[in-house]
Amino acid sequence: MNVLITGAAGGLGRAFAAECGRRGYSLFLTDINREGLLCLQRGLERQFNITVTTKACDLTNAESVNDMLELIDRHSIRFDMLLNIAGLDFEGSFMGREREKIIEIVTLNNAATLRITHAVIQRRRKGRCFTVVFVSSLASMFPMPLKATYAASKRFLLDFATSLRQELKEQNVNVLALCPGGMVTTRESMEGIAAQGFWGEVTTNPLETVARKTLDRALDGKGLYVPGSLNRTLSFLGKLIPRSIVAAVVYWRWNRAQNRWLNPAKE
Amino acid sequence: MKTAVITGATSGIGFETASLLARKGFRVLGIGHSEENCLKAQERILSENPDAKIAYFWGDLMQQREVLCLSRDVAAYLSENCDGELNVLINNAGCVRSWYATTDEGYEQQFALNHLAGFYLTHGLLPFLKKTKGRIIITGSKSHKGIKVRWGDVMLSRGYNPLIAYKQSKLCNVLFAKGINDRYAAEGVRAYVVDPGLVNTDIGNKKTGTLVKLIWALRKLQGVPPTVPAKTYAFLCEQEKAPEGLCYYLCRETTYSKQVTSENASRLFALSERLCGICYGREAAV
Repeated sequence: MNVLITGAAGGLGRAFAAECGRRGYSLFLTDINREGLLCLQRGLERQFNITVTTKACDLTNAESVNDMLELIDRHSIRFDMLLNIAGLDFEGSFMGREREKIIEIVTLNNAATLRITHAVIQRRRKGRCFTVVFVSSLASMFPMPLKATYAASKRFLLDFATSLRQELKEQNVNVLALCPGGMVTTRESMEGIAAQGFWGEVTTNPLETVARKTLDRALDGKGLYVPGSLNRTLSFLGKLIPRSIVAAVVYWRWNRAQNRWLNPAKE
Repeated sequence: MKTAVITGATSGIGFETASLLARKGFRVLGIGHSEENCLKAQERILSENPDAKIAYFWGDLMQQREVLCLSRDVAAYLSENCDGELNVLINNAGCVRSWYATTDEGYEQQFALNHLAGFYLTHGLLPFLKKTKGRIIITGSKSHKGIKVRWGDVMLSRGYNPLIAYKQSKLCNVLFAKGINDRYAAEGVRAYVVDPGLVNTDIGNKKTGTLVKLIWALRKLQGVPPTVPAKTYAFLCEQEKAPEGLCYYLCRETTYSKQVTSENASRLFALSERLCGICYGREAAV
């Protein structure tokens, strides 16, 4: 099984890479962080004795992606699975952020994800099933004031995945959208989850389990995975309750959590 | 003058041990996570003891490239200032986690910091320890008992339980010490594990969740101040003749898990060598 993972050097990417390693898959890893990729490659080779290829790439830059595709074609690498993990968010309100930072969120989470997905599905291994995973978010289920751009970009991925799944069904391609709650992927996220207090922790999904169950479900032909029973309940409620009310509740909660996180001294 | 290297030397047990050894006339090289904490710790030690010979190095011991950099920096310092001699290496830095989290190599963090970091650093500093027939002291815990190393999945990526991961990393500490003694006692280098007991430090409050924080906040109240275990480290450093035991608690030998066998120690050595990409027996020459 040849798997391409984007955003591989981040917390979730590393968990997916390790899960694939355990299963003995061959990996092609990409990330914007070259040094992180090399560390991960070493770690995976030492742990699992698998084939790991890495190429640092800025997915938001068409030229950079073309360079990577050229490398892939030169070595005639063909894939059975694509894990779209690369994505980003910045904390703070819409007007409180720098203009270009907001554009970056949509450029990476959406535009760049479409670019690489299109390119890699074209490079699928002939005559075999192909699997695509998009990392959406629990945030895609609700309007999320103070995380508006991020949540909307994740909603885009969820809707896109659902449609693409239908389009490609007959071509033996399975598309799955993963909608996790918070995950402990970085130092900041550990602090962020702690700042949200109780609700932050109970909606937090364990990385290693998310990675394992996502692969199980994707290979089993499923289309959506919301990890955690509480998160599934929340996403269900999100469909029942009017969106304006959800927005008000979410705003109240995030406003408190972000104040607590960004201004710890005021407590 | 004897020289001691101590990791995790900016707070808790590591700091008190650094402070005590400096008072006892050791040259102390402390290793900490951040420059800020290191400079603060250095200032505190010097304010209480202006004659202390103390220097700090900083880096993230969880990441292997930083362990390598630190070990090279310390090695250069030892060559320049201490005739290439190191008397004591105290692998003390450790952490507790509430969740499965990985290092840049994709290794589970408690295993990476509590065990692999010390394994890697020791490899880099072993040539300097050999010159003095030096000692390696590792901060262990009584909690290493009652479990086995999960050899098929040491990163515990299946059914991760943070407490089990901690206990396993502490069992690895004892196995590592055992492995060092099996290999190097003949050359005079010995390793010990100190069980500090329950100590009032902040280990359970750093980057953990509410539950762990709450439990630890209550538990640490019953703990002794870190000055108490510091005495056990000093005791092991100061004995003229190298003590014969493996695990120590309150300056006395204590028992350890039945899992601590030469066979398991060798198995852990081989695994850790592979995960660090190093080979004991092929250290750099001084």
